Amino acid sequence: MTSRSSTVKLKPTVWDGVIAAAVIAIAVIVAVVFYGNKTYSGELRVVVSVGNRVVDTLPLSDEEATHTYCHNGYTLLVSMDGSGVRVEQSDCPSQDCVHTGTITRAGQSIVCLPAQIVVHLEGASEDAPDVIVG
Amino acid sequence: MKSSTKKLALCAVLTALALGLSTVENLFPITLLIPLPGVKLGLANIVTVFALYELGALPALAILVARCLLGSLFAGNASALIFSMLGGLAAMQVMIGLKQLRGLSVFGVSIGGAAAHNIGQIVAAMFTLGNTMVLGYLPFLLAVSLLTGTLTGFVAALLFRSMKHIKLSH
Repeated sequence: MTSRSSTVKLKPTVWDGVIAAAVIAIAVIVAVVFYGNKTYSGELRVVVSVGNRVVDTLPLSDEEATHTYCHNGYTLLVSMDGSGVRVEQSDCPSQDCVHTGTITRAGQSIVCLPAQIVVHLEGASEDAPDVIVG
Repeated sequence: MKSSTKKLALCAVLTALALGLSTVENLFPITLLIPLPGVKLGLANIVTVFALYELGALPALAILVARCLLGSLFAGNASALIFSMLGGLAAMQVMIGLKQLRGLSVFGVSIGGAAAHNIGQIVAAMFTLGNTMVLGYLPFLLAVSLLTGTLTGFVAALLFRSMKHIKLSH
C-alpha cells in the first residue's frame, strides 16, 4: 500500500509560501486589470442586468427611487439615491446582495447569484480626467 | 474483494461526513462577516483533502461529486449546483497536480485547491450571468481563500498527525 505518513508533508514548507504568493499575485493582477487604469467622472449610471441581458440603465440622480426586478422566481428591491445604490430587499436564500450594502463608485457591482441579477455602477465618461486643475 | 468493500464503505462514510460539515457550515454563514457571494469556510474540503491523500484521486473525485449532488438537494438550491460542482472539480484538478510536487506540504495543496475552487466558481458565475463583472470579486475571494485554505490544511495536518498509526485502507 502507499504509506500515507511517508508521502504527506505536514509542516508548511517554503514551496507552500510560493503557492500562497502565486495566489496573491493572481489576485493583484485581476484587481489591477479590473479596477486599475479607469478614471470616471461625471454622473454615475446604474446598469441592471437580469439573466444575461441589460434591462435598465438609469442615471444616479439625487432623486430617491426604488425599482423592482424579478427573475428565477426571486424578487429584488433596488433602491438608489444621489450617493449610491443598494439592494434593499430580496427573497433569495443567500441574501448576499442585501449584505453587500450600498455601492457608491464606478466599477462596483452587486451580484445576486440565485436571481441572476447584477447591479453595476458605471461612469458616464470613462476616459475623462477626474479633476482639471489650473 | 474485501478491501474494495472496505474502500466503498469508507467513501460512503466520508461523503456523509462532508455533507454533515457543509450543512453545519450553512448554519453559520460567514457571508455575514464578509458579504461576498461564494465565500465559505470550506469545511467539506477537509474531507476532500483527506480522501485525496488517504484513498487516492478517483475515490476523492467520487466523494466530491456525490457531495455536490446531494448537497444541492439538501440545501434545496439547485442553482448552486453548477457553482459548487465547477469549483469543486477545479479544486480537485489543481490539488491532484500539486500533490505530485514533492516540495509541497498539505498546506500548499489545500491553499491551491481553495484558490482554484474560487476561480471555478467565478467562471461558473460568468457563464450563468453572461457578463464579466463578477470578475471584480475574484481578488477578494482569492484573499479569503488564502485563509480558508490554510485552515483546511491545518486541520488536515492535525488529522494526519493523530492518525499516524491508523491504517484505514487495506
